Amino acid sequence: MLVIDKCRLTWPDFRAEYSLTVEAGTLCAVIGPSGGGKTTLLHMIAGFEKPESGALSFAGQNLLRLEPAERPVAIVFQDHNLFPHLTAAQNVALGIRPSLRLRDVEERLVVDMLEAVGLKGFGSRKPGEMSGGQRQRVALARALISKRPLILLDEPFSSLDPGLRRSMIQLVDELRRKRPVTIVMTIHTPEDVAGLAEQMTFVADGKVLASGVPADILNGPLASRIADSISET
Amino acid sequence: MRYKPPHPGSLVALGIVALVAGSFIALVQFDGGRPTLLSIGPYLTQILAFSVIQTALSSLLSLVLGIGLALALARRRFPGRGMVLAALNTTMVMPTIVAVFAVFAVYGRSGWLISALDATGWKGSFSIFGYPGILIAHVFLNAPFVARIILDALNLVPAEQWRLATAFGFTPSQTFRHLDWPAIRSELPGLAGLIFLLCFKSFAIVLALGGGPSRATLEVAIYEALKVDLDFGRAAWLALIQLAICLSMAAGLNWAFKRPPADHTNRPPIRRPDSSSRRLKIVDAVVLAVGTLFIAPLAVSVLTGLRFIPRILDMDLFQAAATSFLIAAAAATIACALALALGGAVRRQRQVLRSPRTAAFYDFLPNILLAVPPFALTAGLFLMVRRFVEPATAGLALLPLINGLAALPFAYRYLAPRLMTAEERYGRVAASLGVTGVMKLKIMDWPLLKRPFGAAFALAMALSFGDFGIIALFGGPELRTLPYLLYEYLGSYRLDDAGAVGLFVVFFAFLLAHTSDRFSHAGDR
Repeated sequence: MLVIDKCRLTWPDFRAEYSLTVEAGTLCAVIGPSGGGKTTLLHMIAGFEKPESGALSFAGQNLLRLEPAERPVAIVFQDHNLFPHLTAAQNVALGIRPSLRLRDVEERLVVDMLEAVGLKGFGSRKPGEMSGGQRQRVALARALISKRPLILLDEPFSSLDPGLRRSMIQLVDELRRKRPVTIVMTIHTPEDVAGLAEQMTFVADGKVLASGVPADILNGPLASRIADSISET
Repeated sequence: MRYKPPHPGSLVALGIVALVAGSFIALVQFDGGRPTLLSIGPYLTQILAFSVIQTALSSLLSLVLGIGLALALARRRFPGRGMVLAALNTTMVMPTIVAVFAVFAVYGRSGWLISALDATGWKGSFSIFGYPGILIAHVFLNAPFVARIILDALNLVPAEQWRLATAFGFTPSQTFRHLDWPAIRSELPGLAGLIFLLCFKSFAIVLALGGGPSRATLEVAIYEALKVDLDFGRAAWLALIQLAICLSMAAGLNWAFKRPPADHTNRPPIRRPDSSSRRLKIVDAVVLAVGTLFIAPLAVSVLTGLRFIPRILDMDLFQAAATSFLIAAAAATIACALALALGGAVRRQRQVLRSPRTAAFYDFLPNILLAVPPFALTAGLFLMVRRFVEPATAGLALLPLINGLAALPFAYRYLAPRLMTAEERYGRVAASLGVTGVMKLKIMDWPLLKRPFGAAFALAMALSFGDFGIIALFGGPELRTLPYLLYEYLGSYRLDDAGAVGLFVVFFAFLLAHTSDRFSHAGDR
């Protein structure tokens, strides 16, 4: 279980305080207006932003004591996930060994993982030779191969067209069912995760304003505000 | 059928080709095409060997120090870092003749270093002439340029990739391999080519610090053939050889600079994962110390001219300053006008006439000017017009033209992309409304062009203002610019006065370059 308890971060022009609980093995979709603090929430969990106070734990382990590389967390961004000078296979391999010195069994794992995300035979291609959707599949493969139990997806598919975006999220859902992971994913529209996400969280003004079953959140007291934030994005 | 006049840019392209070709023909034909290439063979071999060795060493040292400084500055935040960056910017626009003065002031016979060594009882001898002086001056001018370009490239590494590096726990060597090196490698071919070209064509530094006829670049050899020996045929052959070598380099540069534009990142970079490495802290401290010890005294030596400014405030200085400004303004006008015309022609060929080959040729023309020896161009043009005008008058007319042509590649790089953008955005709307000619320039192009135009104009002025090239041919009591005045003071060992003039030149060149920078970074309104 991921537990965030009153984690506070302050900048000259923005203040955030998060409290949130996500059950292990669930897909939690984070929704909210631009600039509301969704990405900051994910960066804090990943360790890129350090809260001044509060508690943050996953599976009972205090994450605040750990450096980003030591946390049981893998992250996929909207852009720039891949190193352009490395092939797709090497980019995935970074998730196992940053030195890229793989054993045979690990090389096989990379091939299998690429196949699992629908990129069989793409291992020797460089990011510049792939489409946006294929690049995000590679990033996803790397997040999954790292065997870290908590995966953060920071609007990973927002630059893709709606059809491709939906199919990518379905791919994420299929993959998580094969291997239990907890996923926290920021999204633009609830339709993207309809029927897939077990939990939905509304973040605005640097706070978690609501969190629960998607239907309850979308039809609850914040429904009009959520609708506004969707039309705004 | 109605006659359609050619595009002004096509006339400019034709004019550039005609000027270059005409100058060479005038030079070669001046004394019946003699001497032959064979007769200057041994001399040519000697100066080519010297040129290649000094260029290779200068480029290598500049790249090593520049890249080291860039990495150290990228990894470290310390008080005064902003000042170091400002100093790098200043050195980038420092005119070569001022760099020559700085080398004399620090490493010359009565310079700071020798004086300090003498005070310790040192009895050895050290001559600044030849390789030492040339290498010091070239590295002083080019290493900060390399550092600045590489630092900018490192800053363009997306913030997401720094976060990934942190999340993966990259070691310092992995950080270098996956983040720093790809950024450096993308700049290296173009940067190395440009530095090689600048050092290979070096004139003022090699003329003043070479120390003998055997230590000359082709540019200096052309100058000596024209000014000292009046051997126009030899100058033409030397110029053709330089043209061939530099054109190959310019073609390489043209190819190397064709890379995709840098992506934007969504947040400023976070703390680098390798900044806490103890070993790298030591390496960076050593690199920064070496860089400071090497660059700072040379830069500071220019500032010492401040004391002697009251001594040089005479009519000569004011006239030289006024001449410099006039020539620089005229050169900038020529450079920007030609760049606009040429950019317009490229745009028309590419987007309206769908003729990418002609567009590519026009696009490459400014780079050819980087390769053409300005002395050969000037001498050829001078031979063509000498029957009609006095040498000093010819000099006054040719200086802005040649300086303008020399600044054209830089002005073109500022203006041409904006012309293309304007066409892509509004070309169809303008065509559908029937907006053409001056109205098109005013309504469609100018709003996007005015800031890059300001940047290009100021930069062209800065380049011309500090130039000590063609003025070496025509300079004298009747025609004197500030860099020429500085050269005269250096020649008569008036180092203090030279320092004061140098400070003037640097101040105005920096002011103009800073203005250019402000324009180029300002948003369109």
